[in-house]
Amino acid sequence: MKTALLLSTTALLITGSLYLMADDDHERYKSYEHYESYRSTAVPVPAASAKSPEATLYGKECGSCHMAYQPELLPKRSWEKMMKTLDDHFGVDATLDEGDALLLTSYLVKNAGDAKPVPKDFAKIVASIPAADAPLRISKTRYFVKEHREIPQRFIDQKEVKSIANCNACHQDAAAGDYSERSIFIPNYGRWDD
Amino acid sequence: MRHLLLTVLLGAIPVFAASPEVTAYLDSLHTEVKQSDPAFTGFDAKRGEQIFTSSHIGKRGEKVSCTSCHNVNLTASGKNIVTGKMIDPLAPSANPLRLSSVKEVKKWLRRNFKDVYNREGTALEKGDVLTYIDSK
Repeated sequence: MKTALLLSTTALLITGSLYLMADDDHERYKSYEHYESYRSTAVPVPAASAKSPEATLYGKECGSCHMAYQPELLPKRSWEKMMKTLDDHFGVDATLDEGDALLLTSYLVKNAGDAKPVPKDFAKIVASIPAADAPLRISKTRYFVKEHREIPQRFIDQKEVKSIANCNACHQDAAAGDYSERSIFIPNYGRWDD
Repeated sequence: MRHLLLTVLLGAIPVFAASPEVTAYLDSLHTEVKQSDPAFTGFDAKRGEQIFTSSHIGKRGEKVSCTSCHNVNLTASGKNIVTGKMIDPLAPSANPLRLSSVKEVKKWLRRNFKDVYNREGTALEKGDVLTYIDSK
């Protein structure tokens, strides 16, 4: 009887810990996983000297009022919609000269999250968007919302951050396309350790 | 020899901070205004200041002014009220890149008049506001 009890308890403990280790939300392992997948399967972030004219134009035009969000963060259909509605871009006029608009649309569509292999976290954002939707707000996609659900609102509202759309305020390597947890530093709070 | 030196020295003082192509754009605006108003005597930085600093119900349905993002002091940096992103100073004296590209000038005038005034700026308004910015 004692042996059976001992064996079954041990089995339960082993099964239990295996389950916990396999849990996707166990952030310590997850951040390493992201780092690895970013390094190994990613379309490499081009060095400044290797940047195409379209990429440079994108950074300049679409990074003048906010961070130039990586094209990989949204699907093609979202970028097409975005570029057709620049006269009312989140409430402001962001219209471009026709030539630039065409160039940038083609750049965005070619590099969208559903147009080519992308790092896991970008793929998850795009995969979490229903096929019938073409959202313009990255921060309202299901995966994004899930990933940011534990952040106290006051961290976002503070003047150093101001908005959830201000990625690089907390994700210190966002401009380089790296959103891994290890590079998060929230102003007036610090690192984020789940 | 003395006259030559003097001329060279005086010539080195920039009379107009805007680049030749932006100056040409201003001239074209001048011509445009003159065509519809023969009594027009020239753009005015004071009128431009009024255009720049006054508040209006803008595109987003809120009261806004050019100074909301660009700051009242044009030699200081501004901050985008929607995104929080820092904006380099608008005054050419503080930022030599300003008023250098006619493409940029046209783009921002179009967008920002729409944002603050809910319409395009008139040739007179554009000329006045550019003259105001250029004086800073």
